[in-house]
Amino acid sequence: MIEDIKIKKALLAVFFFFLSIMFAQRNIYHIPPANAQSGEDLVIKVSLLDIEKPIKGTLYYRSPKGESYLEIPFVDTGFNWEAKLPSFSLTEDGIEYLITFQFDNEKILSYPRVDPFNNPIFVRTVQEDNYFGEPLESDILILSPFPNANLNTDNPVIAVSFFNATEINRNSVELFLDGADMSSKYIFDGDILVYAAKGLRNGFHTVEIRLKDLDDQIIKPLIWSFSVKELVEKESNTISYFGNINSRLTAEKIVDSEINIAEFSGKFSLDAQWARLDNSIRISSKESIYNQPYNRLSSNLSFGRFLEVQIGDFFPQFTNLTIDGKRVRGLGLDVDFNWLRFQLINGELNRAVQRKSGINGAYDLIYDLTDNETDGTKTYYLDRTGFEFKRGIYGARLSTNLFNKVEFGAHLLKIRDDTTSVSREISDANFFVDSSIDGIISGNYNLNTFQTQLSLNNHNLFAPSSNWKGIKPQDNLIVGFNIGTFLDNRKIAIDFDWNLSLYNKDIWDGALSIAQLDTSIDNSLDGFIGRTYDENGDPIVSSSEISTDQIPFDPGRMKDIFIINTNMTPLIPIDYTIMKSSPLTAIINMPSSAFKFSIRGKYNRNNILLEYQQIGPEYISLANPFLRNNSRNITLQNRIGLLNQKVFLNIGFKHRDNKILDTVVNPLNTNTFFINATFLPGPGLPTFSYNYQSINKNNEKTNLDSVGSKIVDLREDSDATTSVLALTYPFNSGDVKNNITINYGNVINLDNFASKRNEAYFFAKTNSNILSFNLSSIFSSFLRTYVQFNRTSLEIPTFENDLFTKLPYTLTSLSFNINRKFLGEKLVSKSEASLLSSKGKNSSTLLGLRSGVDYYVREDLNLNLLAYFRFSHNKNPDENERKIDINASGITLTMFYKF
Amino acid sequence: MPIKIMVTCALLISSLFAQDQMAISTKVFGNVEIIKKKGSSLKLKQGSILSIGDQIKTSRGSFAAIIFIDDRSILKIKENSILTINGQRKRGSISKEINLQGGTLRAQVTDQNRKNFIVESSVSVASVKGTDFWFISDNDNGQDFVHGLDGLIALTNKNSGISVDIEAGITGFSNIDGNLQTKKTDPKILPEDEIDSKSKINSIEIEFLDSTGKKKKLIINYR
Repeated sequence: MIEDIKIKKALLAVFFFFLSIMFAQRNIYHIPPANAQSGEDLVIKVSLLDIEKPIKGTLYYRSPKGESYLEIPFVDTGFNWEAKLPSFSLTEDGIEYLITFQFDNEKILSYPRVDPFNNPIFVRTVQEDNYFGEPLESDILILSPFPNANLNTDNPVIAVSFFNATEINRNSVELFLDGADMSSKYIFDGDILVYAAKGLRNGFHTVEIRLKDLDDQIIKPLIWSFSVKELVEKESNTISYFGNINSRLTAEKIVDSEINIAEFSGKFSLDAQWARLDNSIRISSKESIYNQPYNRLSSNLSFGRFLEVQIGDFFPQFTNLTIDGKRVRGLGLDVDFNWLRFQLINGELNRAVQRKSGINGAYDLIYDLTDNETDGTKTYYLDRTGFEFKRGIYGARLSTNLFNKVEFGAHLLKIRDDTTSVSREISDANFFVDSSIDGIISGNYNLNTFQTQLSLNNHNLFAPSSNWKGIKPQDNLIVGFNIGTFLDNRKIAIDFDWNLSLYNKDIWDGALSIAQLDTSIDNSLDGFIGRTYDENGDPIVSSSEISTDQIPFDPGRMKDIFIINTNMTPLIPIDYTIMKSSPLTAIINMPSSAFKFSIRGKYNRNNILLEYQQIGPEYISLANPFLRNNSRNITLQNRIGLLNQKVFLNIGFKHRDNKILDTVVNPLNTNTFFINATFLPGPGLPTFSYNYQSINKNNEKTNLDSVGSKIVDLREDSDATTSVLALTYPFNSGDVKNNITINYGNVINLDNFASKRNEAYFFAKTNSNILSFNLSSIFSSFLRTYVQFNRTSLEIPTFENDLFTKLPYTLTSLSFNINRKFLGEKLVSKSEASLLSSKGKNSSTLLGLRSGVDYYVREDLNLNLLAYFRFSHNKNPDENERKIDINASGITLTMFYKF
Repeated sequence: MPIKIMVTCALLISSLFAQDQMAISTKVFGNVEIIKKKGSSLKLKQGSILSIGDQIKTSRGSFAAIIFIDDRSILKIKENSILTINGQRKRGSISKEINLQGGTLRAQVTDQNRKNFIVESSVSVASVKGTDFWFISDNDNGQDFVHGLDGLIALTNKNSGISVDIEAGITGFSNIDGNLQTKKTDPKILPEDEIDSKSKINSIEIEFLDSTGKKKKLIINYR
């Protein structure tokens, strides 16, 4: 009977656990874009159905070749949360990303839901509107000034002839002089475009003409330079400056919580020809002493391309397995002579955070650790909490590229938490004391008032100065090297990257001495680590014992480099026993090593990649927290262009497991097969894209396990199949240019053990079906509309009446955007109406209205005002009551000025 | 409705004018006049668009450079010159006929494959096969001089029908009497190019002694 109750309790716990996941899943609503366009930012939009306001949303992204992610915060735009992937991150390899939202109650939602950091969303990058290799070149002739001409006048005429360029859409022509848009000032007379420039400053000037053809395909821009003569000599003494400032004020009310954010950001650059200083700043009211910095401040001083000095916040990269773009605040140095490069990092990964906000943000009274003294008094244990140590980082890397044939680099990275960076005493930090302490009234106290109260009642306080229970100070040392070469006229690239880490998860007690090391495993100070003795005091022969004489150094003397103590993993980096028999195996399988071997080939439009990567179970890089250790990955991939680059195929296979150590009995294997086909028949014609991915996960278990007296089913053998079909069709209806995009996709999960399992087995994978339809229409250069329809159907696994079932859940959204230019393009109005409906166990409807204007006061000054309202319509199934509320509202004012 | 008709007419008229466009002026010094085909007179400025039939008159001390929109051929017109630009727009090119009533011009023709560039005076016709030449028409005395700078020019005397090829470094002389002669060009008689002279190479010469006491000269050329 008792056993039955326990089983029911366990099932109930499982049920609630998955129920929480289920509800978590429904709250985040996102449809990945069909593709990204090279050279353009990619905006990732997410809708949250939860009325709860998240603390923050983060978009993590990386190149598919990368190991670590970069972060971008999501911005609440009213109806959606948006994050902009910068155009420079969109390489031809595509991009991988995932989304997380963090809430007050420590709940974190992610997309994808399961293991997002290892199953990120992949988005293919396509080239700009013209997909066929290099953009088309126009037949425009430069009439004046000629390229590289030296002019005597500061009022030159810029003229080009379109006489031979008959396929150009002349309404699309834009003229830029030194980056400034002069499109409203040129005269297009017949075949000739003329712009009379006035008062040009001394020195070089660049003209750029951007244009499209009659099919609205982008043509390769025409770019050339000239200089104003007699002034060139003076140019060397000229210091130019440019930059921008951006200010944003947001006031929002979401349900009952109000959020007001002010943010200022700016860039300022000084260019002295031979050197350049780039500064950037971001100051936000979101900055808080209770968290890691949100403000950013950086200066970058570069001397040609040889020397770069970075001060403030910067994002260094050594290799994928060490540091790969994580923010560092401090000093960075990069000396690059092309054939020889030296990089240096000295700064901090985390700043010291003394406490969290609110009561108990710095102290925690642990009643269970109260000591009852012999004299009847009590000593209370007040632990320090809510802190983060300053995490310092020092790194150096020297690399060389010899004759463009061989690359070699070696690096060292040292990361350590500074235990002195956090103060024990925080005078204004309050903590709650309950009524269990004799003589003290329950309430909030700070350190001094509590100590006084204890003294008055003849009690003592123990507030340790170290070894606090919270986050432990850590130490990390990484050394490694990489070597690579190119073969067959650089068509084949071979790379090998190897790293070894030493990690200490708790350095409160500092470094061990030889004597402490001797007794770290056994208690005998006998000159041997791990030697045990029988009852007669004779040593028991063991191959695993190590003589302290074999240790070539005193660990205590190494403390400035790495703190060696019993909290270090691994205690001994290499398996001595295997080393004797098979040195190579011992080195390769060192649990704290990580390495990668890759061969890339480019032949006949094939881009082939073969890669093996192994990250040991104890390999840690605190500078790259996204690495998945204890994993082996094999990747075979080919990207190929066929039929004169009209068909692109990306096909590949990946295998991942965690069977690095021989001790792993049931490794988790993940086999992924993927194929992506894109058909681009030509400009103005429809494009098709099909993505298929099949992921099989199995843990090689075939039998049920017993845990105590219970039989549990831990077998895993499942297939997740994802297929997405996308169609883009550009067409004209009269003078209106339209573009339709239709996406249809589904995710189907299959449990290959389904027929062999108990009916009550919970297979917690959600099937989904997505259909989206987008229509963008350009009525003229002044009017554009955008209609979007999405429907996502989910089958959420759950328990009903003790039976496994799948609950249907449907999300439908419809939105309409209209952008209209007024006052000769000085004023742009943007309006959006959107409807989001969710139907399932709980149903709701959200109606969003958003409107705003961009006002270009001058060419260099832009004001933006955006306001939104969101109404919710909920139906309470129990009371059959309908309710309409203003769910959220907000206003945002932005000012942008460039100089 | 009348507004629509007016707009349509305006567009049609402008497109008709567009069909006549031939060149654009890129440099103008002094007083240069442009007389449109219909007789209206304007001051030629930098960036003025020239159409078929436009006449250009340069006063004393003035200069104009125009560039043709189909192939970037350049015409540099010196002071005291009168010429009319004629021609015919075809698909992909414009055949150019420059009627020089008098004065001096330099033609820098880029299109070497098609014989679609002619400079004609009352005495002679220079049909261009090459790229660069001076044409000096002395209308008062009924004589023309053609100095070949690059490529090949077919010079024909209109009165006698005699034709010769003028090469680089050769000067052709043609007069109203039908004579046509060639001789080696005397560089001293070549007109000064207003643009080239402004961007001509200047030199700085620095003399110094080397370690053996030998005198050396460092010449720095600059524009």
